[in-house]
Amino acid sequence: MKQALFNIMTGPQSRQGLWALPLLMALAIILFLTIRTDHMLRPDNLFNLLAQAMPLIITAVGQMFVVLVGGLDLSVGSVISFTTAILALGGPAYILIPAVFLLAALIGFTNGIAVARLNVHPIIATLAMQYIILGVTLVLRPVAGGSVPRIVIDSVSGTFLGVPMQVCWVVVTILIAWKLLYRSRYGLHLFAIGGGVASGMEDAARNVGIRVRRNVILAYVASACFAAAAGIFLAGRIVSGDPAVGNGYELNAITAVAIGGTQLSGGIGSLHGTVIGAFVLALLSNGMTLLNVSPFVQTAIQGGILLLVVAVQTRRKMGL
Amino acid sequence: MLNVNVMGIFIRQVVPLGILVLGQLLVMKVRSIDLSGGGVILLVNYFISSSTFPGAHLSFFVVLAIVIGTLVGLFNGWMVAKRRVSAVIVTLAVSIILIGVVQFFAGGSPPGDVPAYFGEIYNTRLGSVPTPVVFWFGIALLMWLFLSRAVFGRFVTAVGENAEAAYFSGVPVQRTVILAHTIAGLIAGIAALVQTASISVGSVRVGLDLPILAVAATILGGVTFGRGDGGVWGPIFGVLSFALLFVVMTVFGIPEPGKQIAQGVIILLAAVLYGVRTAKAV
Repeated sequence: MKQALFNIMTGPQSRQGLWALPLLMALAIILFLTIRTDHMLRPDNLFNLLAQAMPLIITAVGQMFVVLVGGLDLSVGSVISFTTAILALGGPAYILIPAVFLLAALIGFTNGIAVARLNVHPIIATLAMQYIILGVTLVLRPVAGGSVPRIVIDSVSGTFLGVPMQVCWVVVTILIAWKLLYRSRYGLHLFAIGGGVASGMEDAARNVGIRVRRNVILAYVASACFAAAAGIFLAGRIVSGDPAVGNGYELNAITAVAIGGTQLSGGIGSLHGTVIGAFVLALLSNGMTLLNVSPFVQTAIQGGILLLVVAVQTRRKMGL
Repeated sequence: MLNVNVMGIFIRQVVPLGILVLGQLLVMKVRSIDLSGGGVILLVNYFISSSTFPGAHLSFFVVLAIVIGTLVGLFNGWMVAKRRVSAVIVTLAVSIILIGVVQFFAGGSPPGDVPAYFGEIYNTRLGSVPTPVVFWFGIALLMWLFLSRAVFGRFVTAVGENAEAAYFSGVPVQRTVILAHTIAGLIAGIAALVQTASISVGSVRVGLDLPILAVAATILGGVTFGRGDGGVWGPIFGVLSFALLFVVMTVFGIPEPGKQIAQGVIILLAAVLYGVRTAKAV
């Protein structure tokens, strides 16, 4: 018990990262809001919260794949906007939805090639990609509008076997990510690559026979595809295409991953931590809205939280 | 087009970016990055254009901008060198916090007008060259002298080449990184003054993409003009080629999304060239 408490307080002793701290944070926020406001635990607010948290959870889980190998993906926000713009182009859903994932995979693949093959720093590569995708999105849809296929709208509202659709999305996302990370060779390799990068031995994973480049590229593909899924969810919610809907998701996703205890230098992190981290962020913004905090201050506070969370994570490397 | 006056005006547009680049290249030389320039520019612009300091003198604003920039830079440097936090995350988070605070104080709408003397100074010329351009090249010259002649310049090169080797050779690595960030912050404060003078109004959106453009220009300069990781002039040519790009895109009437795509492609290409080159060198 004492050792467990020590682990929680001092930092990552295992590959799981600091996930108990954000869980305590979430509980503290819920408790605080339940006392301070009277509609925190009302069903409509809880559904609101879940709907707010959903796209962030999906994006953050994708982002974690990239963070685990010591990278960052700043293009996820633009992929979300791009996805809603594509879905609002009009056309049958059985073409649009595969097309969205194909395009996202292509974007992720380009990011991955730039990072893993061409030796570009992940931040520069994905930021440039963000510019390009946002430009293309603005060409496709200069202002919000259009309509998305019926099936997309139905997939986020209503219930499936009595379970609200939002819950289904969470479960499916987590199952896919869990399978990839913990029940496949690919996930094991991701942790191995990241562990090497974080401890300053970039060659370690390659020396034991892991195909580093291929796995890193696949991590970027995964990140983009999860972002596309979040885009589909959001398109169903707003029932149209919007070139600005994904703005800020990249930073929120990184913050969520960092809060969830995943080390930004790679190798250490957990799926449940990331989900909790995204939930904490959604709770914070939900709570601040309930308490009538200005949205601008909310932005500043989220920046502050990001700063605080990374400042308590020690790492060896200095610089980028 | 090749008229000195016209060229001067075009080059004048990129002076804020050009000044910001001088700080960016310094931090990038010690293998760090500074994305907080946007927040500094916004905050300085807010203080000048809102009525927080009514009737203040020009020198007051200059000191204010430099103090703000230096403090932000010092904080960045401390976080990066002492706490060893990722420079991208720190500077990005600082920028977000500053932007959020400014937008909160401004209520999301542009604060007001900039005192007239800013615009007047900005529009003067020395001979036929606009004063901001002269000012820019003056700072660049200072930075070049600083990097090539001062001991600190040697330290910067040493840390950039190999931080571990520099440490074992007795170079104060942490202090060098902190100082590099502090100077970059100071320069961002100066860039904020010039940017504010150039638009002459208060804004809550000004200069937000300047930091990343500065990164791109630095990379572009490091590649195309063979000064390697050492030069001040390479990044300046990078900025000038951005100026040319903006002119060309304006002349051909390319709309905003097209400009964004072109910017992204250029940043990516520059970074790819740089990445491939450094990969071969190792």
